[in-house]
Amino acid sequence: MEEPAIVFNNVALTRDHFTLGSLNLSIPKGYVTAIVGPNGSGKSTLFQMIMNVTKPQQGNIQVLNQELNHHNDDELKQKIGYLQEDATSFDQYIKGYEKARFQGKWYRKWNNDTYQRMLSMLGTRDDLALKKMSKGTRRKFDLALAMSHHPELLLLDEPSSGLDPIAWKTMIEVLHQYMENEQHTILIATHIIDEVKRLADYIVFLVDGQVLGTYEKDELLQSWVTYFIEASSSIDITQLPGYSEHKLVSSGFYEVISSKAFEAERWLEEMQVNIRSKQLLELDEILLQQVKKVRQFAK
Amino acid sequence: MMEKVIDEMRLPIGINEQSAEPLYFQIEVQLRALIISGTLQAGTLLPSIRELASQLKCSVITIKRVYSDLETEGLLRTKQGTGTYVSHVEEQSREEHRHGVVIEAIDHLLEAAKRVQCSRQELEQLIQEKLKEYDD
Repeated sequence: MEEPAIVFNNVALTRDHFTLGSLNLSIPKGYVTAIVGPNGSGKSTLFQMIMNVTKPQQGNIQVLNQELNHHNDDELKQKIGYLQEDATSFDQYIKGYEKARFQGKWYRKWNNDTYQRMLSMLGTRDDLALKKMSKGTRRKFDLALAMSHHPELLLLDEPSSGLDPIAWKTMIEVLHQYMENEQHTILIATHIIDEVKRLADYIVFLVDGQVLGTYEKDELLQSWVTYFIEASSSIDITQLPGYSEHKLVSSGFYEVISSKAFEAERWLEEMQVNIRSKQLLELDEILLQQVKKVRQFAK
Repeated sequence: MMEKVIDEMRLPIGINEQSAEPLYFQIEVQLRALIISGTLQAGTLLPSIRELASQLKCSVITIKRVYSDLETEGLLRTKQGTGTYVSHVEEQSREEHRHGVVIEAIDHLLEAAKRVQCSRQELEQLIQEKLKEYDD
């Protein structure tokens, strides 16, 4: 395994209607890891725990080789850029550049040239009160802020919400450029399939407070397949390697989903089953399969 | 939507998402061919790992694997801090590589022919016909 940027050891947190964990998770340094999961799965809580804003009731978290505690809080935050899910509202009456000036005082590595370059690259401005900014302008402004102190670790919680397609493309480019430095790490929570495809190296599925696994993106996307097959009833299709679900399309014709394309195909060949066609699953379909499995099991 | 003018090099590599072949393999075969055919000349600086990954919409893990495999084969070399370059390919190994690519394709052809029980005569005839096109 690669050197980790973030490690969750046995982390758990219980609230009134929600339990997160226990989590064991490692986010590799130098890569983009996407956390994917349905609403309310605990993605934002995860970010808050990394930022030491929410504390777990159990377990510990290591960020950039240090265990989180109140002594290294400042030191660590100097190295992290955090774009939270919702824009702050307590400071909505100040102008963008005023907020930037404040951040500039706080971050020792703040670089005003980088900040100006970010604003212009992202196509946003800082001469408005935060309250007066459109949702997209504010989002881009907040991203510029999060990146202007040259963080080693970038935490992005639904970064593209409110962005138009052109701004979205620019954001992807900006993040690719950021990752040209091999010491940089991005952890991103997103619902946008295309964002995962364009950015991520690793994918973590977080469903109902549980991590289902960490996957190499390219491998994952090539391993889930729907087969349309012609098979006699003597074959037990549930024995297919990686079997997930199947349905009868018409007499003798089935649609079956496997998470192990390579093994599944060999098995079908051995069983002399005729594959009529096959189709790779999209990421959202893979997620759906995973969610179904977890929720079935929970019952 | 307007496309940004691309100043960096774009490699003519295509990916078939529905293919059963792993992504790294698809990319490796094509990049190897570009080097062996001389399309990419010795000394050419390749895109960075992150750059090529973003062009091909795959992960850096895949590209790292491709670069490292081709480095092991002696087709690429990485200079610390500057990037990955195309190596000088010896004339003899270029020939071997070139033939290797074609021989592999012929193996596929023979497998396919066997699957549909094509006779030797039929096969010869089909190849002859295709060769005519090739000469044009």
